[in-house]
Amino acid sequence: MAASMLVQRTAALCGTFKGISVSKAVRPVNSHYGFMLQTACYNPRPLRLDLRGPYIPDKDSIKTPEWQKTARYDRKLFGRFGSASHIDPASLWPSHEELEKIIAEEKQWHPPLEVMLRNIEAKEKEETEKRLAKEKLIAANMAKMPKMIEDWRREKRETKRKLKEEKAQKAKLLAEARERFGYSMDPRSPKFLEMVAEIEKEEKKKKKLLKRRVKEEQVATPPVAQS
Amino acid sequence: MSFAKKNGGKAFDVLQNLPRITLANLRPEPGAKKAEKRRGRGQHGGNRSGRGHKGERQRGNRPRLGFEGGQTPFYLVIPKYGFNEGHSRRPQYQPLTLKRLQYLIDLGRVDPTQPIDLTQLVNARGVTIQPLKRDYGVQLVDEGSDIFGAKINIEVQRASEGAIAAIERNGGVITTSFYDPISLGILIKPVPFFMRGQPIPRRMLPREDMVPYYTSAENRGYLADPEEIQQARRALAQKYSYVLPDISKDELYHMLAVRKDVRQIFFGLSPGWVVNMPEKKILKPTDEKLLEYYSS
Repeated sequence: MAASMLVQRTAALCGTFKGISVSKAVRPVNSHYGFMLQTACYNPRPLRLDLRGPYIPDKDSIKTPEWQKTARYDRKLFGRFGSASHIDPASLWPSHEELEKIIAEEKQWHPPLEVMLRNIEAKEKEETEKRLAKEKLIAANMAKMPKMIEDWRREKRETKRKLKEEKAQKAKLLAEARERFGYSMDPRSPKFLEMVAEIEKEEKKKKKLLKRRVKEEQVATPPVAQS
Repeated sequence: MSFAKKNGGKAFDVLQNLPRITLANLRPEPGAKKAEKRRGRGQHGGNRSGRGHKGERQRGNRPRLGFEGGQTPFYLVIPKYGFNEGHSRRPQYQPLTLKRLQYLIDLGRVDPTQPIDLTQLVNARGVTIQPLKRDYGVQLVDEGSDIFGAKINIEVQRASEGAIAAIERNGGVITTSFYDPISLGILIKPVPFFMRGQPIPRRMLPREDMVPYYTSAENRGYLADPEEIQQARRALAQKYSYVLPDISKDELYHMLAVRKDVRQIFFGLSPGWVVNMPEKKILKPTDEKLLEYYSS
């Protein structure tokens, strides 16, 4: 009888919500499934509690081990024997100091939900900002890309052209030198350099003459136009 | 009577007249028992006994698995990368298929007319949870979602979208909630906990990385908004193309609507109570500070 009571109680504690205590072994349920569904409630393992000779250690004796005098062991005694253990149930809960310690620990290690949500939001915001900044940078740089490509291509063309020109110039000078002296010279020799200087002088003179002519023409044509 | 035929006919006669079944009358189905291979006997099993010809193979001296004759083996050539880093600290969730859940309900091990909790599942020996192996609970997997047909109020720790859809399609209710390791240990083994004589502790809130999961309505988290959950139910019904049944008109609506409080571990038991098994009593604290702490 006691065992069945225990079974009832454990079944009630384990599963059901308050109000209804369910303790049926097998019951046919004509539910909306349309057929008889037999459900067996959980038959819990019987609790073999031997309450005939409870061992409650003597707190004052020296012979009892230390661990049997602790509060934890007292709680276990109460859990096993109930009121037969002669323990004040009020000692099962934490005292005021212990409670304060527990509350402080919880405050430190388990922040409330609002704080956690705020942290999460802040993190997410930071992440999105970073991502947006990166994307903006990429977009701006991509917008500049065509121009940069054009510039770079132009630079390359320019350098190529200049190189070509220089080569052509050098080849021309070499050919000149060959014509004048009759043999191919080393462009680093002093004769070659002299020749180059002469050629430059001649070119300058020509330019000057050209300029003068152009000026004369300019002077000549406006008075003709006026008159 | 002329039309009263004996059921069975010739087979019944045979059964009546043949001798009783003994070991001498029985024989296994042809092809059921295959003769074992006995090495070292006869023309085929003897001689080298299937070991090959000389060398390490026959002499049983082959090198360890993975050895490639001195060349750096494959498992050392590939460089390490942090795939498994911190694997022992990751939360694990024991999978529970809908097929198994249906099996348990059909056999009557789990009662569908009561809210189904992890305690119920463990009592029914449907799942085995090891909180000390970083198990944080049970996850619902949608393996048997096509054969699942039970209306239940179930609370798990994680659930896939298909599983949620399957349960709601049958008119049930599913919630995902978090249990910290201590609460989980108490939840799966309530009786040993009550024998310890400690007051029922408060359930802690999830870690920061789990909070988004339990506050989103798509996962039916226990911290989510009820209206958002309703919207998510409708959206899921549309996505999986089934008609969402109206629970409020159900006869078991009262049972289906039962939910645990955020800090509660057991149905019907509040944190702070001490359950005494030998005397079948519940002790509740009366101190204000204790009450304030346990009910916050």
